[in-house]
Amino acid sequence: MAMEDLWPRIEPLLLRVEKPTRYIDHEFLAGGEAPVRSEGDLAFCMIYPDTYELGQANQAVRILVNAVNATLGLYAERAFLPAVDMIAAMREEGIPLFSIESCAPLASFDAVGITLPHELAATNVLETLDLAGIPLRSSVRAQDDPFVLGGGPCALNPEPYAPFFDAIMVGEGEEMLPEVLGVIAAGRAEGLSREEILGKLAEVGGVYVPSLYRWRSEEEAQRSGSWAEPMSERAPEVVEKRIYEGFAESSAWEPCIVPFAEAVHDRLNVEILRGCARGCRFCQAGTMYRPVRERSADAIVEAVERGLAETGYDEVSLTSLSSTDHSQIAPILSRLNAKFANTGVRVSVPSQRLDSFGMEMAQLVAGQKKGGLTFAPEAGTQRLRDVINKNVTEEDLFAAIDAAFAAGWRRCKLYFMIGLPTETDDDIKGIASLAQRAYDRAKAAVPPDQRGSIRMSVSAALFVPKAQTPFQWDGQIPTEEAQRRANLLKHSVKYKAVDVSYHDPKSSFVEAVMSRGGREAAELVEEAWKRGARFDAWTELFDEDAWRGAAEALCIVPEDIAQRAFDPGFVLPWSHISVGVSQKWLARERRLAQEGTLTPDCTFAQCSACGVCSSLGVDNRLQEVRHG
Amino acid sequence: MADPRLFRLRVRFVEQGRLALLSHLEVARALERAVRRAGLPFAVSQGFSPHMRIAFGAALPVGVGSTCELFDVFLTDYVAPAKALAALQEASVDDLRPYECSYVDHSALAASVACPLSAYEAHLSETPERFAFPEVITVVRKKKEKELVVREFLQGEPTMEPLEDGTARLAFRLLAKPSGSLRPDVFLNAALDEMKRTEAFPSDARLLSITRIAQE
Repeated sequence: MAMEDLWPRIEPLLLRVEKPTRYIDHEFLAGGEAPVRSEGDLAFCMIYPDTYELGQANQAVRILVNAVNATLGLYAERAFLPAVDMIAAMREEGIPLFSIESCAPLASFDAVGITLPHELAATNVLETLDLAGIPLRSSVRAQDDPFVLGGGPCALNPEPYAPFFDAIMVGEGEEMLPEVLGVIAAGRAEGLSREEILGKLAEVGGVYVPSLYRWRSEEEAQRSGSWAEPMSERAPEVVEKRIYEGFAESSAWEPCIVPFAEAVHDRLNVEILRGCARGCRFCQAGTMYRPVRERSADAIVEAVERGLAETGYDEVSLTSLSSTDHSQIAPILSRLNAKFANTGVRVSVPSQRLDSFGMEMAQLVAGQKKGGLTFAPEAGTQRLRDVINKNVTEEDLFAAIDAAFAAGWRRCKLYFMIGLPTETDDDIKGIASLAQRAYDRAKAAVPPDQRGSIRMSVSAALFVPKAQTPFQWDGQIPTEEAQRRANLLKHSVKYKAVDVSYHDPKSSFVEAVMSRGGREAAELVEEAWKRGARFDAWTELFDEDAWRGAAEALCIVPEDIAQRAFDPGFVLPWSHISVGVSQKWLARERRLAQEGTLTPDCTFAQCSACGVCSSLGVDNRLQEVRHG
Repeated sequence: MADPRLFRLRVRFVEQGRLALLSHLEVARALERAVRRAGLPFAVSQGFSPHMRIAFGAALPVGVGSTCELFDVFLTDYVAPAKALAALQEASVDDLRPYECSYVDHSALAASVACPLSAYEAHLSETPERFAFPEVITVVRKKKEKELVVREFLQGEPTMEPLEDGTARLAFRLLAKPSGSLRPDVFLNAALDEMKRTEAFPSDARLLSITRIAQE
């Protein structure tokens, strides 16, 4: 079935809006042929619920579009949420949201998938569906409406999104998404009803079909051990996350679109490993992507070479949650540096860990261009770093600073969180002290005539408790208290050369509501969206009044969602979703946190029995033995 | 600056269709990536932040297409122009496509100022009774208003050709000056406003496209 081409109606708008390149497609496709839709193929559109420059850089979008297009009988395109000015122009002209490649209305696809990258994207999901003309709620969608699929980090507590999605995928989508689309294609071919197809989707591993569960009251939930009661035999009591088991052996290079518009991470991304078992107790990615799986040095070097040649990028980032932990990172970097010497190519490594960033790493990552360096001590005192299991010391930070500034860096940013469990004013003052002493070390490592160019900045954000982490039972501190602590931090920093910035606690509060809310939070999202909330992650567009007004109208006290602390016996609204780590392990980690006791990383030391390997039937996959 | 050991390859390319909507910066980035993909032996600048030795022609406003853009890239080795062109074409998308490569002398003017005179062709949705434009156009540059005297930029008289479908084709030439230039889209929009004001042109008439067709 041919889909309508909206381009003739979109084109006249493009000279009126900012950055028209967001909407024009026709980018260079490296390493592949443009997919063609064959007769009978199921049409899927992968959507990032924010603008092109954010979405086009997203690895999940690339991976999943490729995975779907590589599957016989399936066809995928991309879509992004247009910027505010384009949305207004489209609404004025009555033009619905369109896919990038065919400029086809999203509503004419068989299925659409929206990735849920962070907690502040919820209202954008509704903006996306509304602009597309797709009914917001699964319960009112008709037989021919597209299936609306979700996935990504926020699937770990899917309830604030539950009514808007037909199915939510938990875990890695490389295999799960094509399976889900295959079930929809077969169901449609057989002429099954929407309800029957949803029932079949619930049987696919990792898939949560919210409409098949009744939401219990708190009292009922605590008694029965879960908030979500399956209403169909096909719906599992607990939905367990999926893992892409072939990751370690899969190619690190795949077809990749080279955008014209400048994307946020406008470079070649080569994913070198997945998962991180450092075990920071606040970190959701740490439980979500377990176990740890490394690709081989050979595969990585080959992917970088081929990727740079085919895309024409002058920068490659070796991505993962903790790239310097790769057991072969030193040889990988040496080989790449040797290959790309004098070509103007920059090899970058995101999120360096402090304890693995020594002199050798500083020289290897240095390459030819030196931008700013970012480290995340997360907390200002050793006591609090032990609480969160951030297994780094002041000495690690200072050694890293010495190495980096001696190797030529001049700018360093330090990330911290405010409001971590057990935090006191001493911990806040500790941030200031640590940053100032880091500045002193940097100064000592730099020749006197260059000291003026040293920049040390502190960036602090309010702690957001996340589902499926040891701190899931802990509440967020009140916004006013967060503001007081932020002010204390600002006043504690005496050096003019150390600048302090902090993320607006009001939007971190909404993040916590979305992170910890049950199905009632979905009502809040819809009401806030109706009151104009969207692009909540854009500081200048964040509309606190819309969220406040929505909560009042619905008689919801959002503080009760964001700030309430529970005992580990309390059944949380996401207990029907499992990332494979046991609740027992999470509770033990929380207890160890309160004692300030560290738990080692199982890829360097012994197993801490988190339960992922046994429950998912997998293991860590390291290329070589890791040495800490 | 001019390293005599380097080869200065001048590449001419089209920018058309949807890609007329690219900004100058986006075009520059895309061309640099095409040079890398083509595997040409480009020279890299020395210094703290090494980058490709490449220089771009005069900027084309967003929305204006061209059949005759140019850039210079410095090569460390000689590559036959036909071979360089074939490699660049292979590495490019259709609407941003090189069509000619040749070597130019190091003493030649920089690509950005080599061709101050541009010929444009515009397509109008209706044929005006007569083509008219204001004598002075006010533009905002760096938050300051500046008055441009059209005749200082416009070379010769614009010509208009009614087409069979009722639309019209307009040809005109603008000279870029070291002190600044009059953008073709700014000129045409001011002309359209002027003609609509004097009722020489229906109020719903539109500018369909602008293309740079020659640079010298």
